[in-house]
Amino acid sequence: MHALAVDGLHKSFDGDPAVDDISLTVPQGEFFSLIGPSGCGKTTTLRMLAGLLTPDAGRVMLNGEDVTDRPARERETNTVFQDLVLFPHMTVAENVGYGLARSGVTDPERGQRVDDALALVKLAGFGDRDPADLSGGQRQRVALARALVNDPTVLLLDEPLASLDRTLRDEMQAEFRRIQRDSDTTFLYVTHDQESAMSMSDTVAVMRDGRIVNAGPPRQLYTDPQTQFVASFLGDATLLDGEVTRHAGPDVVVKTDAGPLRADADAASYAVGDTVTVAVRPEAVTLGGGGLTGTVVDIAYKGFYEEAAVDCNGTELVVRRERNTAATPENATSADGGTGVPFRVGETVTLGVDRAILVENERR
Amino acid sequence: MSVADTPGRVRDWLIAGSPVLLALALGVFPLVTLFVESIGPGLGGENYAEVLSPLYRGALLYSIGVGVGVTAVCLAVAYPITYWIAHRCPDRYRLVALVAVTLPLWLNYVVLNYAWVWILARGGVVNRILVGSGVLDSSLDLLYNNVSMGIGFVYIYLPYVVLTMYVSMERLDYRLITAARDLGASDYRVFLDIVLPRTLPGAAAATLIVYARIAGAFATPEILGSPGNIMIARLVVQAFRQYTNYGFAAALSFVFLLLVLGSLALGALSPRVRRELRQW
Ligand SMILES: Nc1ncnc2c1ncn2[C@@H]1O[C@H](COP(=O)(O)OP(=O)(O)OP(=O)(O)O)[C@@H](O)[C@H]1O
Ligand SMILES: [Mg+2]
Repeated sequence: MHALAVDGLHKSFDGDPAVDDISLTVPQGEFFSLIGPSGCGKTTTLRMLAGLLTPDAGRVMLNGEDVTDRPARERETNTVFQDLVLFPHMTVAENVGYGLARSGVTDPERGQRVDDALALVKLAGFGDRDPADLSGGQRQRVALARALVNDPTVLLLDEPLASLDRTLRDEMQAEFRRIQRDSDTTFLYVTHDQESAMSMSDTVAVMRDGRIVNAGPPRQLYTDPQTQFVASFLGDATLLDGEVTRHAGPDVVVKTDAGPLRADADAASYAVGDTVTVAVRPEAVTLGGGGLTGTVVDIAYKGFYEEAAVDCNGTELVVRRERNTAATPENATSADGGTGVPFRVGETVTLGVDRAILVENERR
Repeated sequence: MSVADTPGRVRDWLIAGSPVLLALALGVFPLVTLFVESIGPGLGGENYAEVLSPLYRGALLYSIGVGVGVTAVCLAVAYPITYWIAHRCPDRYRLVALVAVTLPLWLNYVVLNYAWVWILARGGVVNRILVGSGVLDSSLDLLYNNVSMGIGFVYIYLPYVVLTMYVSMERLDYRLITAARDLGASDYRVFLDIVLPRTLPGAAAATLIVYARIAGAFATPEILGSPGNIMIARLVVQAFRQYTNYGFAAALSFVFLLLVLGSLALGALSPRVRRELRQW
């Protein structure tokens, strides 16, 4: 049985659909992320799951029970809000214990569970503080504890880390993952930060314009995105339009402006002459050899690797290479040997593409 | 700190200090005069002894009671009104709603009282409608009792309470209410745990503004109240005008002031109120 099952959820505001037919299932104990660009309907979806907003159509099931018509306070869900909204007139312990008090848990047990929850988020001993006296990261933990302590069937998190700086965000991300495992709670995490979603989640669902366009484990979504939107939203990708020229075993060869590319596909579903779109990830592009030739037009240093944008017949492909600290432009002859020599703008390089990904093109 | 700063600082103090001094003088001077008058002639306590006689004691307590009761009703009415205006009313109608609720502020105080005489009198609007529509056979006595006086008081003082409460209510973060609901709070608990504590300063300010004025009101009890229930203002006025017993009038006023301050302090000392007020 699924902790959460959503079927055909719809919500319009003044005739504009904000959520348009969302269905999803989340097994108990899973870390599920809902990601998508700003305004795609993530918060609206979450509010309907929490019972804070009434859907126009669709059902919400928690542990197999239909809760669509129940208000928020009668649902076994709790929310960590984007802006936290801790109660400023209550202490940390009172904040965390508020949900327990409302469900009738009385004091020896309540105090114990509050202490346990605070310990889980590494805030043991902070119970008597006022929320205003805490740092941003600590407030974040209080908000998490306040929701988690109620042992919800599903914990809903709406971009809870958006307001934190990068270091703290990375730290809290790891914390969230640990806490999720330790407490064995089902997490539904909403964010527009694809990087954090990919690193934390068991399953990722990508939303666009009120719909889920692709869902699956992060690795699968990354290596085999269904659409060009998913390919470019999850990591870097160059998109090329082309035509299938021949079958090669299970693969197809696609003729693009940059040159012919091999894409693994269910060859049977494509015929020679089909117009298709392929996505090329930077990791799939190798320097030297290969059948493509182009000119380096831009270079970016990214710490341990270096990235070059290469113009192949009007299409820019991105290629990456680990930096070799010993090599300098002075002792280098050409980057075209794969020896870790820095790129130079204007030089001509040859590229190979190991694998292009066939994707649906929503624009077509 | 260097010596060169000193003249500048003195001047700053004078500039900042003089309005404060003026305000203090305006506030305190009449009080001192009143107090001196009340213990005269000859430093006797007779005036105060008389104030505490049963007749006056009754009027004092009745006045305080009316003040507490009407203030409570005003707050009870103002809470839902301001909550609605601040958190439910569409933005563009908010100002209109506020103006509508506070319209009586623009009219003369005495006129407002007589408006209710006109509405509640035997031949007044309400009776005419009730009799005319056949609900009643003959007119009711709706005027000159505690209810008509209460209606008049609430009508006149509600706008002050609404305006003061509105400021607090608008600052109440609605997301807190959402969060409380999400954690399982019923409407009643939302009010008790979120709305009340976050707006208590507004309620306290409103109380400070209207409570003493209601308890010490003159016109409304005279025009709408029962002739048998005497409020303190009438006695003070009588002592001044009819008996020209200034000392006694002053003593009466002073005891009343102490009672008002005392009852306000009692409210402020309640631990819950103290805790919430400390936040601000
Ligand atoms: N209460 C509302 N009234 C009218 N329109 C709304 C309301 N709430 C959301 N919308 C609209 O619905 C759409 C989806 O909004 P939503 O807040 O769900 O987006 P989101 O995916 O959470 O975006 P973000 O990442 O910026 O938070 C937006 O176009 C928004 O303008
Ligand atoms: Mg949002």
